[in-house]
Amino acid sequence: MAAEQLLIDQALLEKLERLTLHWQKSFPGLVGGRNASRFSGPGQEFLDHRHFHHGDDYRAVNWRAFLRLEKLLLKLFQVEPRIPVRILIDSSASMGTGEVPKFHYACKLAAALTYVGLVRLDTVCLQAFSDTLGGSCNCGGGRHRFLPAVHFLNDLQLSGSSNFLQVARQFSSNYPQRGLVVIVSDFLDENDPEKPLQYIADLGHELLLVHIWAPEDREPPWTGELDLVDAESGVHLEIDANQQTRNAYTKAFDDYAKRLQTLAMRTGGRYVGLSANITVEEAIFGPVMRVGGLQ
Amino acid sequence: MFLLNLSPLEFLAIFGAVSAFVVTLYLLSRSRKRQKVATLRFWAQAQAPVVSKQRRRIQQPLSLLLQLLSIALLLLAIGQLQWGSRDDAARDHVLLLDTSSWMSARSGERTLLEDAKLKAKSYVRALPGSDRVMIVRAEGLPGPATGMEDDRSAIEKAIDDSRPGAAALDLQQAFAFAEQVRRLHARRAGDVVYVGPGRVGEQGLPLQTPIGLRVIPVDAGSVNNIGLTRVGLRRSHQEPEVWDVFVSIRNYGASPRTTPLAVQFGGAPIANKAVVVPAAKTEEFSFRFRTKAAGWIEARLLEKDSIAEDNRAVLEVPALKTAKVAVFTNEPDTLRPALRAHPQIEAAFYPIAEYRPDIPAAVVILDRFSPGQAPKIPSIWIEPPQPAPFRARAKVTDAKIARWRADHELAAGLRSQDIRVPEAQVYSTSQGDVSVAETDGGPIVVARPSTRAVVLGFHPGRSDLKFDLVTPLLLANILRWFEPDVFRVYDLHGGTSGTVTATLDNDAEPGSVQVLGEQQQLPFTMEGRTVRFFAGSPQTVRVISSGREQVHSLSLPDIAVTSWEAPRSAFRGVPGAVERAVSRDLWRYLAVLGALGLLVEWLMYGRARNRLRTQAPAPVEEVSMRQAS
Repeated sequence: MAAEQLLIDQALLEKLERLTLHWQKSFPGLVGGRNASRFSGPGQEFLDHRHFHHGDDYRAVNWRAFLRLEKLLLKLFQVEPRIPVRILIDSSASMGTGEVPKFHYACKLAAALTYVGLVRLDTVCLQAFSDTLGGSCNCGGGRHRFLPAVHFLNDLQLSGSSNFLQVARQFSSNYPQRGLVVIVSDFLDENDPEKPLQYIADLGHELLLVHIWAPEDREPPWTGELDLVDAESGVHLEIDANQQTRNAYTKAFDDYAKRLQTLAMRTGGRYVGLSANITVEEAIFGPVMRVGGLQ
Repeated sequence: MFLLNLSPLEFLAIFGAVSAFVVTLYLLSRSRKRQKVATLRFWAQAQAPVVSKQRRRIQQPLSLLLQLLSIALLLLAIGQLQWGSRDDAARDHVLLLDTSSWMSARSGERTLLEDAKLKAKSYVRALPGSDRVMIVRAEGLPGPATGMEDDRSAIEKAIDDSRPGAAALDLQQAFAFAEQVRRLHARRAGDVVYVGPGRVGEQGLPLQTPIGLRVIPVDAGSVNNIGLTRVGLRRSHQEPEVWDVFVSIRNYGASPRTTPLAVQFGGAPIANKAVVVPAAKTEEFSFRFRTKAAGWIEARLLEKDSIAEDNRAVLEVPALKTAKVAVFTNEPDTLRPALRAHPQIEAAFYPIAEYRPDIPAAVVILDRFSPGQAPKIPSIWIEPPQPAPFRARAKVTDAKIARWRADHELAAGLRSQDIRVPEAQVYSTSQGDVSVAETDGGPIVVARPSTRAVVLGFHPGRSDLKFDLVTPLLLANILRWFEPDVFRVYDLHGGTSGTVTATLDNDAEPGSVQVLGEQQQLPFTMEGRTVRFFAGSPQTVRVISSGREQVHSLSLPDIAVTSWEAPRSAFRGVPGAVERAVSRDLWRYLAVLGALGLLVEWLMYGRARNRLRTQAPAPVEEVSMRQAS
């Protein structure tokens, strides 16, 4: 697979091939996936026995158990459902701030996760969002389908401001089937994004929140008299920043990240916080694997 | 106070321009910076005070003040702010460092020169930095070691490189030199400083002292010296192998001293004596020793004192030379007495029949015969029969010698005109011949320098002439003319360098005097029989004149005997804190203060401005998740 300008080099691709997207929940779905589910269905792996009920298929009866126990019992098999993986990439204007471009970093990360899914024959849906859901790209069927994903990511542009509530509504209507939702964003919505995320999780999706920030998003280096301009809304704020102010800012940011993590854990999902100044490779084989997003 | 490099107006103009620049930069650096950020929510949560009131332009006045003050200090340092007025500007000084022979004396642990160097450097360091100094090494002749110099390291190096000389101090010449330097090279005349103990040579006492004289005395109280001043050797006239030796010793101290004197020749002792020398006096001692050999004679005082250089003198003694004379005669008794009168002549007599031209001798005498082959060596022909190299043209009898060639060395000492020869041949002279003695009929003694031959028209050993002084004197002159080295009289002197006086013999011809140093001829003056020349450094000088050679081995230092007292009007010692103004050079302090001010400003305000810190990862803990059952 040729490495495109989206910046995943061949060496990283080879390393990614041994990884697997991982989710914790059990989803009812089609057979063909890889992760085990607690639901029974037409699978290969024995799951359990149950009593025979009127209308059950006689071919499913375990006759050996009947000879032994003189009871009609049915074998149940594990279903390995094919779970859709949806990767949402924040393309709002706030993702364009910082000396290290967060949006570029997010696209690289999304590409890496996509590749992992494709190698394992998962179905991956890439979709950008800002105040609404943007264009999407469905990928599946193996690693040879990675190139279209790369083209899609390369063509993404920053626009608009973040509106998680609107995005969550659209998502719920567009994607009724539950699956793994990977949201790659800085989560800097003027409104509180926690409720929309909670909403998505309540619909049965498993959340993997990939929180990306630029170094100055967490620890602003500026002091003195500042005229701050919001990248999305354009609102100005004049302040006199000193060390105390900066410390308070950083604390507020950390509290917010903590709330996102708590939300993810509470909903059965996961949270990983990444500073854009660490490499994508370090991020994948570090924090992302540690939280169990990949195995 | 005043600025050396800038006028007040220039200073104000430069400071104003720099200040305006600094204030502008300051205001610009502190203007509100516009910054695009990802969100404002956290700033609001940080409750950062929103400045709604009217902004002050200058938020950190102390920072600006520190910067302006530091710049002012640096500018003052560049402009060389100085105490006092312009009238007290830099002066030029001449420092006379005594490097005479007396300065090699040890006083305690150090020599006098080492003490003088320390005091000279103390004086130099006490001067304002803008003053210039010329270092002059004063001894027999003053010599500048530097030009008018303001580089203190070069000045101190010149002081450190000074070494004691061999001559006594001539303070008069040193002061005259210093005055001339001040007149010609000083921008603004400063001090003439003399550093030394004030021991001057006999001719060195100054007649007057320069204006602005400062004396930094060097204590020579513990110097106690006794040393050789002269050593002389002369060969005895009666016995050429005997040498008369005289030694002159001076006691420079304040009390009489007894010191052992040892004289050796070729390593063998020839004299040992405990000499008693009164205080501040010179004593002479003489003795004789016999030798024909050449070698070195050494006179030494076997006692340690303050100056070791004058405790030993060495002179080279030349070997006693002789001249071999071969006399071909059938009547040796006629010439034997005349030749034996000279102890340096070794005469060998041969009959005429044994003549050979290559006889191994220095001179050959042919008595009344003319060999077919003339000798190759210098020859004396006595009444040679014709044909002979000298053509006789007449014969005179009972002739009186009317004239002697007074200007020729062959006739040296021969003046008498009462001498009569019974008979003599008169010779014709050719070009280049010298007629030594003439009668009215013509020359009877002729010398031919081209062949180094002399003909005597009469026999000096026959008739009454053998009793006359003319005979041995004429023969001696002829032999000396042939072999000057053999008959040269040597006088050996060991003395001090500087001005040397040599006394010649009565018969020395002024035109024949030469003064030869080791490398070149030395200029000299002659007054009567006194030759005077100057040797600035220890060396061997030969004074040659008319068959006599004086060898002056000038290895002894010329130790001064006279103390000079500085006049009351002279300043004394190194300028103290009261005497001199506080150092006018403030630029160093101003520069340091200015730099400190900038450093303090940076430490207090500069490090906190726009510093980008490294980012630490979010402190949000990563929680490991386990699979739900």
